Amino acid sequence: MNFGFNEEQKSLGETIAQLLGDFPALLAPDPGEAQDPQVWISLAELGLFSLLVPEADGGVGLSLVDIALGVEALGAGLAPPIVASTLIATDLIAQYGTAEQKARLFPRIASGDLKIGLATLEADQGYDPGQVRTLLGGGGVSGTKILVPGGQDADIFLVLVQSDKQPALILIQREARGLSLRPHADIDPSSGLCELILEGAAIADDALISHKAPGEAVERLFDVAATIYAGMEIGIAARMLDTAVEYAKTRVQFGQPIGAFQAIKHGCADMAVSVEAGRSAAYYAFWAASENVSDRARASSMAKAYCGEVSRDVCNHAIQIHGGMGFTWELGLHRFLRRAKILEHGFGNHAWHYERVITATVAGGSRVADVERDAA
Amino acid sequence: MDFNYTPEEVQFRKDLRQWLENALPEGWGETAFEPEDEDERAMFRLDWERKLHSGGWSGINWPKEYGGRGATLIERAIFAEEMARVRAPEGLNIIGHNLAGTTILRHGSEAQKKRFLPKIISSEEVWCQGFSEPNAGSDLASVRTRAERRGDKFIVNGQKIWTSYAQYSQWCFALVRTDPDAPKHKGLSFLLIDMSTPGISIRPLRQISGECEFNETFFDDVEVPVENIVGDINDGWRIAMTTLAYERGPEDALGRQIRFKQELDKLIETTITTVRGGARLVDDPIVRQRLARSITEVEIMRLNAVRTFSKYLNGEERGPDASIIKLYWSHAAQRMYEAAMDILGPTAPIDAPDPLSAAGGRFQLSYLQSKAFTIYSGSSEIQRNIIGERMLGLPR
Repeated sequence: MNFGFNEEQKSLGETIAQLLGDFPALLAPDPGEAQDPQVWISLAELGLFSLLVPEADGGVGLSLVDIALGVEALGAGLAPPIVASTLIATDLIAQYGTAEQKARLFPRIASGDLKIGLATLEADQGYDPGQVRTLLGGGGVSGTKILVPGGQDADIFLVLVQSDKQPALILIQREARGLSLRPHADIDPSSGLCELILEGAAIADDALISHKAPGEAVERLFDVAATIYAGMEIGIAARMLDTAVEYAKTRVQFGQPIGAFQAIKHGCADMAVSVEAGRSAAYYAFWAASENVSDRARASSMAKAYCGEVSRDVCNHAIQIHGGMGFTWELGLHRFLRRAKILEHGFGNHAWHYERVITATVAGGSRVADVERDAA
Repeated sequence: MDFNYTPEEVQFRKDLRQWLENALPEGWGETAFEPEDEDERAMFRLDWERKLHSGGWSGINWPKEYGGRGATLIERAIFAEEMARVRAPEGLNIIGHNLAGTTILRHGSEAQKKRFLPKIISSEEVWCQGFSEPNAGSDLASVRTRAERRGDKFIVNGQKIWTSYAQYSQWCFALVRTDPDAPKHKGLSFLLIDMSTPGISIRPLRQISGECEFNETFFDDVEVPVENIVGDINDGWRIAMTTLAYERGPEDALGRQIRFKQELDKLIETTITTVRGGARLVDDPIVRQRLARSITEVEIMRLNAVRTFSKYLNGEERGPDASIIKLYWSHAAQRMYEAAMDILGPTAPIDAPDPLSAAGGRFQLSYLQSKAFTIYSGSSEIQRNIIGERMLGLPR
């Protein structure tokens, strides 16, 4: 029993934070200009995309826990969201991909040659994957997906579809016939959110992820994505806390740094408590997903619900502490607020995840975690 | 990171479980409960604690040479989990185990360790805490209770307040002023006081809940042998900070978390069995959201504690991180009891022994008791100062 990170895990977080820090464009006040194609290339050179590829398939074979602090750094550094999408898809293919899919995709994923877009949401449905309407049949896929992060950059899409009246996941090439993209006008242009329009889109023979248990693959995708999004949310929250504290130490009003006023100091302390609590929830979810324990779904939902609330609250409060400066375009705090809002609604907002928590708890006689610990 | 247990830890859990099967009263939690009367309940809890000791299940992670089990912090956590699983009674000597013992273990002399620790572990001696005074609450360093050195004794005069369990205690550890002329943090000492010494009187204080757990304690020319000082004279503030770090730390939080989880389980059960307007409470979407948030927050209390345990196991010092733990659980628990009262709806005001009260009135009692959480062992405002200044480095 050890709820701490080892030196390699910490070092990955620091390395990614440093790497992203070298790209000031990522934090540019104008979210429409906050891009630099070199970011992906540098992350690929670092080997980030080979980390979750199993050793047997030529990768490093790390676990989700191993990259947890790295994910936090991706959030804090406002890395392009397609980086996280690709990591989430890598985990899924490692767990549920066929041998052919692995052989075809992993070499390209590991080298950073393949950006994978995640397309799950639809405009007239809620967050629940069971409600998906995009239909797989007759050799093609039809339907419209919304809010696909980095859609225009993606080489391949992992798409949630209905197949045999069940939710399932399929892979579609960017250049497939019948596939088109429309960039959204949205609150965070730096996320590259797109609508993905599929009109009888052509798929390859081995496009389906897991013939045996397509539903299980969907569950894993949602749990892992919720966990990784929670990790990025807590990264944003931690960075906003640091920014607010730094400002409170240097901004002088009434003849003293405003951080000496308890109204400000206590607000910072409350944010620190929230960030640490969110980290506890997020790190546990990373572990539960790594070990694939039966508490995985509940742990991921607790993390996503809670960290979503924390990132929202801390962004709001950090802006408040900066006063008028916080509201300016130039200072760029809005970039974190915008990104946090995108993450909050990706793979289920807090209300949806809290509903999953209570459902799992009542179904498990409210002792799900205990059972898991006993079995260990 | 690894939430799995070693074979030794698994065996520890198995042994404890086996022991518990025979140790708890028959029908515990179903037909057998704690006594209603406060004094009888205190004695029941004391008996339970002594039974734990006789089975070798006390002082779990304390050294064997002082009567402890010599187990690890992780086994200490497993112990807390297993107590929760069977909804075991609380103990009475909580202050002895969590505060007096831990402080003596850290700062006491060898003679003090040998004299006091075994009897804390066995709960032969129950302890209370003499820190707060009527004019020294959040400003603890302003304590005025004086201890004057006369030969081989200190003569103690003054008053302490909020002394929980003083009426059941054989010993009290107290923060007293030994140098009235020194700056306020530098004239304090940490004394161990025998509660049967002439000149000590206690007066119960009735709390918000109607119970009388805490007291005013008066010291009138109370003689304390000089060997009962912990650490050096006028070095009491540093030692008191150790006590507070333990009072706010993960051991304490984990024990509480388990009781909160039991109450939350009971609340969930109540929402499943209570039908109103033809529907179960648990089917109301607003109720579900409130429950889920509390489930999450109570789980985070556990995770916060385990994370902090791990830091200590990996060699980090105890510090202001304890304030994070305390600030979190105290407010989260208050939110949970507010949620409970909201969820109970129109019958929320109905208390025991009214036959219409939910779950025997436990939510009403706990709701009232929860008001203390954000006040005792350092109010939330004090915790926020500590976090703001000592963790975040904000100016004073």
